[in-house]
Amino acid sequence: MRPENLLELGATTQKLTLGCPILDRHLGGGIPCSSITELFSESGCGKTQLCLQLLLSAQLPASAGGLSAASLYLHSEFPFPSRRLNQLSHSFSGSHDPSDNIFVQPLHSAHELFDVLLKLNPLLTNPPSYLPVKLIVIDSIAALFRSEYDNNPADLKRRSSLFFKISCKLKTLAKRFSLAVVVTNQVVDFVESGDGLNGVRIGNLECLVSSGRRVGPALGLSWANCVNSRLFLSRNEEIVGEEGDDGGSGVVSSRTKRQLHVVFAPHLPYSCCEFVIVKEGVFGVDR
Amino acid sequence: MEVSRLPISASQRGKLVSAGYSSLSSLSSISPSHLATELKISENEALEILKAASHGCRLDSFEGSHAIVNGAQTAWEMLQDEDMLTRITTSCTDLDNILGGGISCKEVTEIGGVPGIGKTQLGYLFAILDFCINLELLLLLRGNRNYRIQLAVNVQIPADYGGLGGKAIYIDTEGSFMVERAMQIAEACIKDMLEYDGLLRKDSQTRHLKMQPKELLGNIFYFRICSYTEQIAMINFLEKFVSEHRDVKVVIIDSITLHFRQDFDDMALRTRVLSGMALKLMKLAKTFSLAVVLLNQVTTKYSEGSFHLSLALGDSWSHACTNRVILYWNGNERYAYIDKSPSLRSASAPYSVTAKGIRSLASNSKRIKMM
Repeated sequence: MRPENLLELGATTQKLTLGCPILDRHLGGGIPCSSITELFSESGCGKTQLCLQLLLSAQLPASAGGLSAASLYLHSEFPFPSRRLNQLSHSFSGSHDPSDNIFVQPLHSAHELFDVLLKLNPLLTNPPSYLPVKLIVIDSIAALFRSEYDNNPADLKRRSSLFFKISCKLKTLAKRFSLAVVVTNQVVDFVESGDGLNGVRIGNLECLVSSGRRVGPALGLSWANCVNSRLFLSRNEEIVGEEGDDGGSGVVSSRTKRQLHVVFAPHLPYSCCEFVIVKEGVFGVDR
Repeated sequence: MEVSRLPISASQRGKLVSAGYSSLSSLSSISPSHLATELKISENEALEILKAASHGCRLDSFEGSHAIVNGAQTAWEMLQDEDMLTRITTSCTDLDNILGGGISCKEVTEIGGVPGIGKTQLGYLFAILDFCINLELLLLLRGNRNYRIQLAVNVQIPADYGGLGGKAIYIDTEGSFMVERAMQIAEACIKDMLEYDGLLRKDSQTRHLKMQPKELLGNIFYFRICSYTEQIAMINFLEKFVSEHRDVKVVIIDSITLHFRQDFDDMALRTRVLSGMALKLMKLAKTFSLAVVLLNQVTTKYSEGSFHLSLALGDSWSHACTNRVILYWNGNERYAYIDKSPSLRSASAPYSVTAKGIRSLASNSKRIKMM
């Protein structure tokens, strides 16, 4: 065994741009390669939107923050949003159709995911596209696990054993091929209970609030050990008073405030960035 | 002296030679039981051979040790050694205080906590601070002016710090090591050192630190481990590696746990493998006077009808490490708690993770809680 020389690894870990300079700045350049980044939120907060954007930005050249690479999208939530992908790809200039460099594989169970990972080597070493595959997106990991396992100790033990198997396999692939790996996760409601375990604090935020409810990532503590970085997308309705009318009887409108939070990451402090989802994609907002 | 000249029976001599022991030096560091199994003889017989060999050795060199048990020490000698021991600072004063000055060399220390609490951050820090092992005393006693002056005399800081420090081995099993973060912390450390350097030698401004963050990173041997087979091999290989790199002063494994939480149906086997690993690490720490830091994850444990948090790898593993530190959240602050230690009292202290690494809380007024 030989140690790696840290100086030869480069001054920074390679990053994949999110396709927006403001979001990139909050994440120290983007999604890091050779590790697993988890993106969790309740439904409709923009997880899939961000994932689709990553599939496209991976194809950008290194000068634009991309990886000049193809990507693999493993999805367990149906159907595949090909129409939205097509819409997003219009804002990407390129000589060829970006969809050619996106491989899509549907998944129906957690074991199927593991089997797919075992068979990935040929795709990664000898890609059918002319670009190498450097990004794997799993959307979502929670859907695979939440249906299959019961809430009893035996099942939970089997479940977490599979978590670690999948995570180790993903990390091995990520290291070997310098892949950026992004997995999405759902949320569970936070329930105040006597044993206090439900409230185990993980990461920078004392409580995560989305749609006015207290939530936490699904799949529990053992899965939290399986990812390197964890990002949280929140959505909250914000009351915006109509300007110019101080009487209080003015029209009160509300708007959706979306935020991206760094829950934990080995290289990043806590930060929070507001973003919007528009026709062209997901973009950070400086406020 | 050759084995052939030892005063032992011809058959024993034959067995020794056919097992590859030709010189006395090859017998010097072997235990009787090991020799017995290798030569397929009784342990008493093996002991006789070793006695004869050590006698022969003494004839060769006039100042051999008389004990057949090599390396035995009296408790007094051990105490003296312990006083000489260096510690690696955490660069958080509160944490250092409850740890008795920092992470101790010659011992295995386990640090556990929930994801995002700062385990890896501590790991980075040890890897980097290790380099500054002789300066650590200065950092440790920051704030105490008298000591500082005294130390300036005692420590006799050499002109070039660069040649001093120890090196570090960082074994990354989780893939959480980020070069840019290590670089950031290294830069902060150098800045700190320059500051203390200035305080110490106001009169002689001639000597300057010429240390670069790159140099610090160059002193970290980084290994990325992707399976438990690799991890076991790595631990077995460590002794050889460290004996070739004697300047290694800290070994960090981030984390010991990950690969052992999958695929082990035979839990008894897992326990055996893990305790074997722990023994090797302890031996390594002892033999080469280096600090071993193991990072561990937390899990939920079911007992007496309710779930609670505990460090992973089970009860038998909790015997494996000499010291055990648990990191936890208390409201909005991070705390470290000494869960197990043969020489330190249970205590907890707050720390914070900043851009510079691990530091004391900004507003800190005697917040260490002794239990």
